[in-house]
Amino acid sequence: MTWSPAPAESTTSTSTEDDPSDRLRVLVGGIGYRNLRDGSVGIHVIERLADRASDAVEVEDVSYHPVGLSQNLQEREPYDRVVLVGAAARGRAPGTVSAYRWDGALPDPDEIQTRVSEAVTGVISLDNTLIVCGALGGFPDDVRVVEVEPASEQWGEELSSEIEERLPEIVEAVWSSTRP
Amino acid sequence: MCFKNLPVEFDEQGNARLKEGVADPYSYEVTEVTPLDQDERKLKKLLERNGHIRQVDFDPVTRVAGALAFHTVVDLESRQVLETDSMATLFRGYEVILKGRDPRDAIFISSRACGVCGGVHSTCSALALEMAFGIAPPPLGTVARNLLLSLEYLYDHPLHLFLLAGPDFSEPAVRETNPEIWTQAERAPAAGKDVHGYSTIGELMTAMTPLTGELYAEALHMTRVAREAYVLIGGKYPHPQTVVPGGISATIDTSDMSEIHLRIVKFFDYGRKVVAIWNDLVEFFYEVNPQYREIGRRPASMIEPGQWDDPYAYDGTFANVDDWGRKRWAPPAVIVDGDLVTTKMTELNMGIEEFVEHSFYEDWTDGGNGNGAYRFREDPAGNPLSPNHPWNKETIPRPEATNWKDKYSWSTAPRWDRMAMETGPYSRMWANALAEDYSHLRFIEPTGRSLKFNMPKGALPAAEIEWMVPSESWGAFERNRARAHAILYTALIAYENLLIGLDMMRKGETAVSTPYKVPKDFRVGAGFWGAGRGFLTHHLVMDKGVIENYQIVTPSTWMASPKDPFGNPGPYEEAVQSTPLLENFEKPEDYKGIDVLRTIRSFDPCMPCTTHIHTEKRVISRDVVTCACGVDDEHEH
Repeated sequence: MTWSPAPAESTTSTSTEDDPSDRLRVLVGGIGYRNLRDGSVGIHVIERLADRASDAVEVEDVSYHPVGLSQNLQEREPYDRVVLVGAAARGRAPGTVSAYRWDGALPDPDEIQTRVSEAVTGVISLDNTLIVCGALGGFPDDVRVVEVEPASEQWGEELSSEIEERLPEIVEAVWSSTRP
Repeated sequence: MCFKNLPVEFDEQGNARLKEGVADPYSYEVTEVTPLDQDERKLKKLLERNGHIRQVDFDPVTRVAGALAFHTVVDLESRQVLETDSMATLFRGYEVILKGRDPRDAIFISSRACGVCGGVHSTCSALALEMAFGIAPPPLGTVARNLLLSLEYLYDHPLHLFLLAGPDFSEPAVRETNPEIWTQAERAPAAGKDVHGYSTIGELMTAMTPLTGELYAEALHMTRVAREAYVLIGGKYPHPQTVVPGGISATIDTSDMSEIHLRIVKFFDYGRKVVAIWNDLVEFFYEVNPQYREIGRRPASMIEPGQWDDPYAYDGTFANVDDWGRKRWAPPAVIVDGDLVTTKMTELNMGIEEFVEHSFYEDWTDGGNGNGAYRFREDPAGNPLSPNHPWNKETIPRPEATNWKDKYSWSTAPRWDRMAMETGPYSRMWANALAEDYSHLRFIEPTGRSLKFNMPKGALPAAEIEWMVPSESWGAFERNRARAHAILYTALIAYENLLIGLDMMRKGETAVSTPYKVPKDFRVGAGFWGAGRGFLTHHLVMDKGVIENYQIVTPSTWMASPKDPFGNPGPYEEAVQSTPLLENFEKPEDYKGIDVLRTIRSFDPCMPCTTHIHTEKRVISRDVVTCACGVDDEHEH
């Protein structure tokens, strides 16, 4: 069975205003492995957003551990919104960017258990982060996702040209997701 | 004389040498394997005639780290496993990535070999570099590494016992596969109730239910406790940023030690609870059906490179490796059929070979005609080495179609003295229990047939807990029971290192790293260390300041290995083949394979493979060669 997160609503925005909300407390989390080319796009994005971080909008590499992320989120002061960005290979044209509000629907318990097992043994992906944190807790009601169809997830330190070209657009899609 | 099969003998002074008069001492004949289902027509006829004989593939084996598939042919009438093939399905290309790089990169790149316990690779790599560079950490640097290692294990063992292997013993799994056992479990009193709090085995199984069970949730929480302590020294988990040649790059003080202390002591009571749980589970199953002793049974043949260095003994040299190795908290050891055959690191190292007859690699040794040209005929101390030894090995991937008769796995087949070996926390404890000259007796007492743990007071009163070396049978249930005891073993070693570290701080011995230069001449080194699942070595060859060859042998390479050229199965294959199918099913299509899965998971498989880099044409997708020329190669931390 293949699980894919479902959008509650599309949130694609072309806004490039550098004006994040001062009312929402937001966590922007990049997800991916380093050195797996487009599989690292989430990390590239948050590195580009690091200097826009503020008290209201925190920017963090959350690739460390979905279970650890769930545990950390449960201990922190609650966020109003979490925005996650990463690669997700779903057979679309490379470079396709989807931005949406996650509907929070989870797969069956067996699949959740499988994803927890993956998470504790080192698998890092957008999907297992959504499932594990969704199941174990820590997410606010408002979770936004910006996912990117990778062209290459082979070993390598650089993004593919398709993703590199679209990186500014992806960065802005993420940033616009922090807006009210 | 520790070798029965290798062409190595020892003189009167105990020096190893090749047997005289053997023209081609390491050569061997390849034994052809004859898989039952090699001939599709033959198998089809067999299956048609016998509806109870089935091919059952577990692909992937779930709840293990990484990509493992397992092929079986089972007779569901006689309830026997007829054939087994263990497949590592992805290529771990770190050896290829590391060629040509600055050797210091190995610490950070090799860490990525595992998403559970990457830090052990970092340290193992640092050990290999130290041997090559001719340096060693100050004592507190070694203590810090020992703490890091312990904390990784304190993450890993609860994870295995309750998140990966544990669900096979939970209420839903037992109800589904052996409902008659669940009925008995509901009524069976739990002997360890005073420690773990559950009145019956049924309650215990319910608490092990994935996602909703208390014990599942508690294990998740305890993994956090271990990680919190780990990052105080390592900076990050699972890939630490502070492990360097010659020690660690983080400054640690009494405040860090206190924070770590607070977390380690939580594992004293937790570990006792886990031991009580697994003792109850194991004894219950044995009582219900003594055949559970046969699940996953194989000879108690184990290899353990030793770990947790004595901070005042470790000097990083190969010349003294036998001495500092034996002074480790867990000594190096090879155990054959339950008996200790050596505790010398040089003999352990000398006996290692890797074979690729059934692996997707090209043979670098001229097809087993061992005495062709190979580079290292001896180790740095003059002991003979095989062409198949990691210092001589080359990683030459050759992807091709899976064929049970020929090649079917990305794992090589490591062997010691040409025998399959398993490894794990139990190999450390087993070696520790049998070793005669053990020197760390503050909390751990080896008796020759057991290990006694002198547990300090926590919420529970102080007590002596004993792990008995299994004498009756060695199988899946005993592996899990031993791993439960390994929480106590690890916590006590961590605690002792913590006390030693605090004492060093009181004396002002606060240095944690030593300056070094990356040598530009030809060097070799080896790291002998451990992972949560057991044996770990990194063998390094470097020249002109860059890596010429780098070979990693992981615990799962030993245990998930395919058959060797002598026709012998790897440990998973061997253990599954001896497993009786005790699952309760009426129709073949209801068969779930719980006994096979319990067997495989009892080894805590970890198939380190997060980065795979081959293409169909075996072209590496990016040139990673770097030159160390001009980089800052003089370091002080």
